[in-house]
Amino acid sequence: MDVTLLLLALFSTVGLVFTYLAVTERDLVRAVVYSAVQSSVYAVLLYLLRAPDIVLVYIPVSVGLYPATLLFLIGKTERVDGE
Amino acid sequence: MRRVIVAVSIAAFTALLAYATTVAGALGYLGLETRALARMFLALAYNPNLRELTAMSPAAVAAIVWDFRGVDTLYETVVFYMAIISALAIYRGVHKVGGGGSVGLSLIVRVVTKLLIPMNIAIAVSIAVHGHLTPGGGFQAGATLAVVSVLLAVVYSVNSFSRVGVEVSKAVALQSTGLIAIAAVVFTPLIYGVLTGAQAYLMQNYVKVDSGFHFPAEVLGQLISGTLIWLNIAEFLAVSFGFFTVFMLLSLREEVVKQPLLGEGHGS
Amino acid sequence: MALSTIERFLLTLTLYNLLVTAAVSIYGIVARPSLTKKIISLTILGDSLNVLAIFIGFRVFSIPPELVSEVELERFVGLAVDPLPQALVLTAIVIGLAVTLFLVFLALQVYRLYGTLDTRRIRELRG
Repeated sequence: MDVTLLLLALFSTVGLVFTYLAVTERDLVRAVVYSAVQSSVYAVLLYLLRAPDIVLVYIPVSVGLYPATLLFLIGKTERVDGE
Repeated sequence: MRRVIVAVSIAAFTALLAYATTVAGALGYLGLETRALARMFLALAYNPNLRELTAMSPAAVAAIVWDFRGVDTLYETVVFYMAIISALAIYRGVHKVGGGGSVGLSLIVRVVTKLLIPMNIAIAVSIAVHGHLTPGGGFQAGATLAVVSVLLAVVYSVNSFSRVGVEVSKAVALQSTGLIAIAAVVFTPLIYGVLTGAQAYLMQNYVKVDSGFHFPAEVLGQLISGTLIWLNIAEFLAVSFGFFTVFMLLSLREEVVKQPLLGEGHGS
Repeated sequence: MALSTIERFLLTLTLYNLLVTAAVSIYGIVARPSLTKKIISLTILGDSLNVLAIFIGFRVFSIPPELVSEVELERFVGLAVDPLPQALVLTAIVIGLAVTLFLVFLALQVYRLYGTLDTRRIRELRG
């Protein structure tokens, strides 16, 4: 059996769990951190899916720039989602 | 804690659904075949025996991005440009970047960042100029260099942009330079065709069946894949400095931008 | 070459996980009140759909679509994954970031005008 498939299933499950945590978290900074964990897991997924080009663009964008942008936004506005 | 339980049960439900599908024997086609189109792209990406069809680039993704489906990528570059320009349009009243006396983070962090930034730039340039040989290209390099702008903004404060000589107007100019360079490469065959009266196509890379025009595939024995290296470098400029402008404006403090953006009517 | 049951299960599970991730992030976009949370959910939706597109081009026992000189062309064509989804996703990721930055700027402007990012309160304030 190809171990790639096992890792694919495992990491996509971890990504799903962290997506749920990010979407339901009320503290937005923590939501961004959960989203960054999900992005890191997806970077591994893309590597396992034999897409080195996408990994090169995905790591700076989704692990670096998205959280930075969103933290800038949260720093300038409010930190809590909902009442 | 309750949320973790819900998340795990969603994952478990998904696994159950997947198991049921597997047992039922649906989705049997997954993960075995490549499509005929994919085979064609793979076979033609680097194939010196088929001069009229190949892109002469061992990196199949780069070959598709800038040769086989180059017009798509051109269009997407325009979409990217429009998104950046729309973001700039919101900040239209803000002229001056800088002001405010903050000096950024502690000395250790600043020194380490000073060491990291040249490395980051070197890696970005390397990714851009080797895009036609290995994984990489203009988009990847641009995203990598954009990290430098975030580092500058977070670690050194906004003032550092003007200190290293990057201003919004200059960054927009460099971004536009990248776009103009792409246009120049795209229109070169057409201009050649008009001047010499020969048959040549927009965005043409190598000889076609009815057209003799071609960019050099190799220079001094080095494979440069015709238009691919030039388009990658131009895209690198466009993407990286597009992100530079936006992150520069994003890192401005609210007190600086609120007055020009809202005007006098809203009170400040 | 046929896949065993467990291999098919793992592939199906990956596919379903990506789909459910997209569904959860759509819930986040539609149901959460904060504009920031909507933007976070939108980035996750984009990520999961991009990975899904790559997954469509994936095949078991394959190599990346980069021709290495030692590998002959025929073997390369027979082994490599589909490069077309990768080329499309490559540009989609960068444009996704640019569009998200535009949305962030819009959200900042909304905050400047209304003093909140809660869509329910914004609706009340507008009357």
